[in-house]
Amino acid sequence: MSLRSNSFTTTNLQRQNHSKSKKERISTSFSMILMIVMAAYFLFPLYWLLVAMTKSTNQLFNTSMLAFPEHLNLMANLNWLNSYQDGMFWRWVLNSVIYAVGAGLLGTLVSSMAGYSLAKYVFKGKNFLTVSVLGSLMIPGAALAIPVFLMIKSLGLINTYAGVLLPMIVNPFGVYFMMVFIKESMPNELIDSGRVDGASDYGIFFRIALPIIRPGLVTLFLITFIGSWNNFFLPLVLLNKTSLYPLTVGLQIWTANLNAAGTGQPLYPLILIGSFLSILPMLIMFPILRKHIVSGIAMGGVKS
Amino acid sequence: MVKIRRVPYIFLTPFLILFALFFVFPFVYSLILSLFVNIQGEYKFVGLTNYLTAWEDKSFWYAIYRVAYYGVVQVTIMLVLALVLALFLDSRYVKNKALFRVIYFLPYAVPGVIAAIMWGFLYSPDLNPILNIFASFTGGKPLNLLDSGTVLYGIMNMATWAWTGYNMTIYFASLTSIPIELYDAAKIDGCNEFQTAWHIKLPLLKQVIVMTTVLSIIGSLQLFNEPYVLSSLTSIPATFTPNMDIYNMAFAYGNFTYSATLSITLVLITFIASLLFMYATSERTTAKKKKIRNTAKSHTGLSASTMSYTGEGEKTL
Repeated sequence: MSLRSNSFTTTNLQRQNHSKSKKERISTSFSMILMIVMAAYFLFPLYWLLVAMTKSTNQLFNTSMLAFPEHLNLMANLNWLNSYQDGMFWRWVLNSVIYAVGAGLLGTLVSSMAGYSLAKYVFKGKNFLTVSVLGSLMIPGAALAIPVFLMIKSLGLINTYAGVLLPMIVNPFGVYFMMVFIKESMPNELIDSGRVDGASDYGIFFRIALPIIRPGLVTLFLITFIGSWNNFFLPLVLLNKTSLYPLTVGLQIWTANLNAAGTGQPLYPLILIGSFLSILPMLIMFPILRKHIVSGIAMGGVKS
Repeated sequence: MVKIRRVPYIFLTPFLILFALFFVFPFVYSLILSLFVNIQGEYKFVGLTNYLTAWEDKSFWYAIYRVAYYGVVQVTIMLVLALVLALFLDSRYVKNKALFRVIYFLPYAVPGVIAAIMWGFLYSPDLNPILNIFASFTGGKPLNLLDSGTVLYGIMNMATWAWTGYNMTIYFASLTSIPIELYDAAKIDGCNEFQTAWHIKLPLLKQVIVMTTVLSIIGSLQLFNEPYVLSSLTSIPATFTPNMDIYNMAFAYGNFTYSATLSITLVLITFIASLLFMYATSERTTAKKKKIRNTAKSHTGLSASTMSYTGEGEKTL
């Protein structure tokens, strides 16, 4: 190929690229504007919360909505939060941690055992069970809240940690998720070789299967943790003792008593700083945890 | 697969006990309870009387109608938005994709109650002067999303804020699982970004779209947290949504038998609604699939190679 024809091709390509890049630039700018506008929409209430929690009630109504106040009231709000109702807020934080960690750990263990059984064994009633689990995915938990309340009541578990935890552990989606995950990630040969080495079925599950399916366990734990942390209807129905409330129910009660709490001033700052603190840990960890969560919820969308 | 008698049942036992206690029994118990009335502490069997009462319970059916309307509008807006965002994030026009994906998905980490509290405050013109900008459209008064006529739209905004990124994430994950050869084939056939999105990506997402729609519809029918939280900031009727009706029937009026009746009715309606939707779309998919193929072939001149890939992709999804 001669030098001349080579340079000719290049110029032609450049010209082509140039006209193309104009159209390309318009498309890019339009896309980026849309992306940024939507990002602003999703960040707007969170940014507002960050600003609002540093204000006193008076500042909240009288200073610029999206700007931090000249005199930050953050420490005063924090002190009020710590002392209000003898630091009840931190009790709620502890309760939320107990419910979310408890339901996350126990729910993941129970679901992975059931999922393992459905994925790796042949037994009578297996098909019926699989169909039941899939079918119950269509029955929303919220619609069962009152029936579950009646059940918990007859078990005498109203106003106990166990009463809130036990229903949260039952997770048909978790069973389905672990079943598919184990089928895909654990070859049967591993079970056979484990058996040859003289391991029992339980030994195989705990010492061979669990380490292999660890990514799936992490995903399911995170999804259950977030679901329980965010749960509101179930604890609302099952509890009427303030000291057992999770954050969601507690903050809602404060909101309901916004102007009627008998403290002489509205509870805005308490609710705002309380809301911010209760989402802060998750917001910070979210970018790191996101990819573990995604693989789980992506399957939720493709399921059945 | 391994054949052993007792072991699989032992692995299943913890789940089955809890599933029976907190899923099956409550349902059966409510079913039984719904056949009784409680007269001064004594349960009296009344057959299907409660269901006849429910059938004529105007406020309950109005609540169903309200959440159905809410569902149609909100789910459509949310899923279209989620789909558009996912397709843009999958195109070559957007930079910093990872950052936008995290931002859009962020509301998933915020409890619904806290989202409702935040937006509830933001709907108050005293706290949110931005609403005054809308005054010229609403006849001099600032836009009031807490008003009885508009509060449903306020709730739609909350749900859209909370769940768009979640659905976008599901769509995006499905898009990344499309084999790259398919795009090469489309490029060879001269498809531009938009045509690739419309003729290849969208048809491949169909099943995921149906599934997210069903899940969103189920969620809409259960609407409770947001209106319940807002009811402490503004006046919202006790029968605003079916679940609020059920909750108040049990805890404000202490009528557990009728509350159980309404719970069972709501479960049945939810179940039937999702089955109907899946049935409707599954029938249409087969008819439409052919149509899409034909139109795609005639309008864009997609070659057989692209189409065969599309067919395979559909099966694997």
